[in-house]
Amino acid sequence: MSYPADYPYFIAAWILLCGLYGIARSRHLVHMVISLTVVQSSTYVLLLAIGFRRGGYAPVFAGLQTGVKVVDPIVQALMLTDVVVETTVVALLLAMVVKAHEKGGTTSPDDLRFLRG
Amino acid sequence: MPSPALLVALPLIVAAVLGALRRMIPRRAADLAGVLTAAGNLAMACWWTAHAIHRTQVYWFGGWFPRGRMALGIGFTMDGYGCALAALAALLTTLALIYSSKHFESAGGHFHPLMLVFLAAMSGFAVSGDLFNLFVFFELMSTAAFALCGLKTREAAPLAGAFNFAVTNSVAAFLMLTGIALLYSTTGALNLAQIGLALAGRHDRLVLAAFVFLTTGFLVKAAVFPFHFWLPDAHAVSPTPVCVLFSGIMVQLGLFGAMRVYATVFEGCFAGTRIPWLFVVFGAATALWGAMMCFAEHHLKRLLAFSTISHTGLMTLAFGLWSKAALTGLFIYLAAHGLVKAGLFFCAGILLHRFETMSEPALFGRGRALRWTGPLWLLGGLGLAAAPGFALAVGESHVTRVAPWTEATFFIAGAMTGAAVLRVGFRVFAGLGDPGPEDRSARLDEKPETTDAGHRVNPVLYAPAFACIGGCVALTFWKGLTRVAEAATTSFMDFNRYAHTVYAGATLVPQVGGAQAALTHGMISAGLRALAAVTVALWAVLHLRMPRRLRWPSHLEGSMRRVRELQSGHPGDYVAWLTLGCAVLGAAAFWLGL
Amino acid sequence: MKRSHRLLLFAVGAAGMAFVYCAGALNMPPWGQYRGPYGDVIAQLAVYQRHATDTVNAVTYDYRGFDTLGEEFILFSAVTGVMLLLRPEPDRSEEKGGGGSGNPASFPDRATLSETVQVFTTAIFGFSVLFGIYMATHGQLTPGGGFQGGVILAAAPMLLYIAENTEAFQRIVSHPLVEFFEGVGAAGYALIGIAALAMGAAFLTNVIPLGKTGDVFSSGTIAAISACVGVEVAAGFTLIIFEYLREILSRSKADEE
Repeated sequence: MSYPADYPYFIAAWILLCGLYGIARSRHLVHMVISLTVVQSSTYVLLLAIGFRRGGYAPVFAGLQTGVKVVDPIVQALMLTDVVVETTVVALLLAMVVKAHEKGGTTSPDDLRFLRG
Repeated sequence: MPSPALLVALPLIVAAVLGALRRMIPRRAADLAGVLTAAGNLAMACWWTAHAIHRTQVYWFGGWFPRGRMALGIGFTMDGYGCALAALAALLTTLALIYSSKHFESAGGHFHPLMLVFLAAMSGFAVSGDLFNLFVFFELMSTAAFALCGLKTREAAPLAGAFNFAVTNSVAAFLMLTGIALLYSTTGALNLAQIGLALAGRHDRLVLAAFVFLTTGFLVKAAVFPFHFWLPDAHAVSPTPVCVLFSGIMVQLGLFGAMRVYATVFEGCFAGTRIPWLFVVFGAATALWGAMMCFAEHHLKRLLAFSTISHTGLMTLAFGLWSKAALTGLFIYLAAHGLVKAGLFFCAGILLHRFETMSEPALFGRGRALRWTGPLWLLGGLGLAAAPGFALAVGESHVTRVAPWTEATFFIAGAMTGAAVLRVGFRVFAGLGDPGPEDRSARLDEKPETTDAGHRVNPVLYAPAFACIGGCVALTFWKGLTRVAEAATTSFMDFNRYAHTVYAGATLVPQVGGAQAALTHGMISAGLRALAAVTVALWAVLHLRMPRRLRWPSHLEGSMRRVRELQSGHPGDYVAWLTLGCAVLGAAAFWLGL
Repeated sequence: MKRSHRLLLFAVGAAGMAFVYCAGALNMPPWGQYRGPYGDVIAQLAVYQRHATDTVNAVTYDYRGFDTLGEEFILFSAVTGVMLLLRPEPDRSEEKGGGGSGNPASFPDRATLSETVQVFTTAIFGFSVLFGIYMATHGQLTPGGGFQGGVILAAAPMLLYIAENTEAFQRIVSHPLVEFFEGVGAAGYALIGIAALAMGAAFLTNVIPLGKTGDVFSSGTIAAISACVGVEVAAGFTLIIFEYLREILSRSKADEE
């Protein structure tokens, strides 16, 4: 293993921690939701990095001979649907933020302390 | 033989149809469709459980049978544990849909599709044999839960609760996906059996890292300390039928996910190490923390939520013991706890419907008007304390038979949570003693979740509560319970048998003779627990009338307040705790595993 | 918890997580040398077994089609959740079966946009719809498929909104058929699976004739499922956009009053 060559994995780790840091220190609910999408991106980077093969073609055989070296189609399939689907989940979270602003008058997590123990 | 695919496909199709025809379908028809679908799932799942006790089977979707060792498609493994959990999910959903028929506000017709999707996700999660498929059903369960949690949008608090729930559980899902990716990189497989065979017992840093991330993700859903902070917030603001499902089965499914992945993928790798002790320690900490916070609560739903945390901690502890008797006890305890907790939440829902508040001081003495809810609630409290006559005691006795030192944790957690519920019962339904302290968290503004609120309670609201509490008692006296639990545990714990099932299609389950739980010993400790719960509850209720020396020490209130402030309602706090918990789990895993 | 305490807690936790993640990453196979069997086996088999040249979509809709069914329903639940959260308050009387009638607040007309933009976006609208349909139906041949095509289709009405053609926009997105198609798309996927069950095969087996590789009507259920998903995704995103716009516009109306 050589560290510089494996840099995508460490980038994924860094993105994950950046996203979590964003959520932890956020002062605005929308910012918090977007930080969540950053966390999500780290999983995509990790998945795609795992499936990469140097010199491999895209796994689409229209115009390509079968048997040629291609990158991994599985990880691409795993994350493709995820991207679209998580967008709608983010829409759901943002709808919560919109409603919270309407009812509570605030978008700061510090002010939404209705549930304090 | 019903196709296993129908367990998932049937509720999904009905949900989509109800969603498509939302504006045209009358309320009655939607209720009926929901109840019938859930009942259909229940029938299928029960059939499969009965079948799985003798023979575990695998079902490959799309007809993609494995090629040699390579699993091409997604498989369901219909084994005892999974089918029984799917049956419990279907049972609780049926009862919740019965409860919510007629009076419950249907939120523009969106309630029923979401509940059915939730049921489909839970059923699929319980029996799935593929790691990424587990993730997909985890996400589906979570998304339906987020939407259902925020159903009461007329106040601000439900949105805060749903938001905290959503952020924490989404982070958990992404950590889980990270773990899955790590495992995929080294084994090139997504099928649980195939991954387990490919790892072949190695426990290097990659396997440990994958274990940490996967387990963190599942334990967040299982609300284990310190990942539990989202649960009381979500319960405080969710409508009653949704709370029933959360506490009765969803949280336990999170634990089951961790169990399933451990039993298939990691068990061979960590067999010689002390990694299972992680579950014991985290479970015990959760049980005690949950019990303490439960007793300090005065908002009924939050109180029940903390008791769920406590009891799931006990189940995690039982899992960490990793022995046949412990997992048999876990099986029984899970089923019994689900029923009792559901019954208690149904009773809380009746109180909410009638009096429009969930605050213990505000409800003082008013429950006397409800003839049947009071006895049900008190029975539920005794059930939580695992009193004799409730199946929780049977489950607990299996666990403490092999590990007598866990008896103390079970005793404290059971007695305190039971005492909290009994204390509420004495105050609300009997009007004993004083109303209790004014509590900030109990002052949540509760708009009614039912139409016709404040009026007489319809039998449709009582029947599920009766069914649940009665079911738990009946379970105790069912002779076949131990046999079913043991058969389920045998096929669950044996990875070689699991792998054989996956690749060969089906395996017979060896029928073990039903071990007799040490009944006498179990009954004595159960009786002591019940006695302790009643005593502590009476003391709490009457303590102001007692001589000064016997009262609560006053400085306890102050320190409890600071501890309770940790439950701050701020999602950033919860994610910080999550990160810390993941790091602690990671450090401990690396220390124990390498 | 005070902000400084929270950040301290997080710092400790993040350090631990970084340690775990990097320890795992260092032990992974080197980057660029994917060696796992699953992807290679599928890449070799997909064209012959399913007559599909796009192996990614073959995996998505066939080999691992059950996962995609779950993902599609995540989208369905999220859209239902958005509709649930942003539903109008019941100060209007609830109709039978559900409140939330299809009458949005009327969209204000702001006639300040330049004509060039209006003409251009209106022209692009037709092309977008075509392109979305093309994407959704050619998923089995080239990169694309139902999810991507559906998103493009859903973005097409937004062009109308930007072009200030609010009447057409309102008519398209508030039609009750949009919700109907969302449910139909979702149920359609599961029903295709049930059709396989009815023919005696396992759920979601590819039972439609596979056709010739490279044809549009090839690869059996992959094309059919892709079309269903496209319908569902398009309808779902349209509903989300509509709910948000209605919420914002009703709030701005309330602010004005």
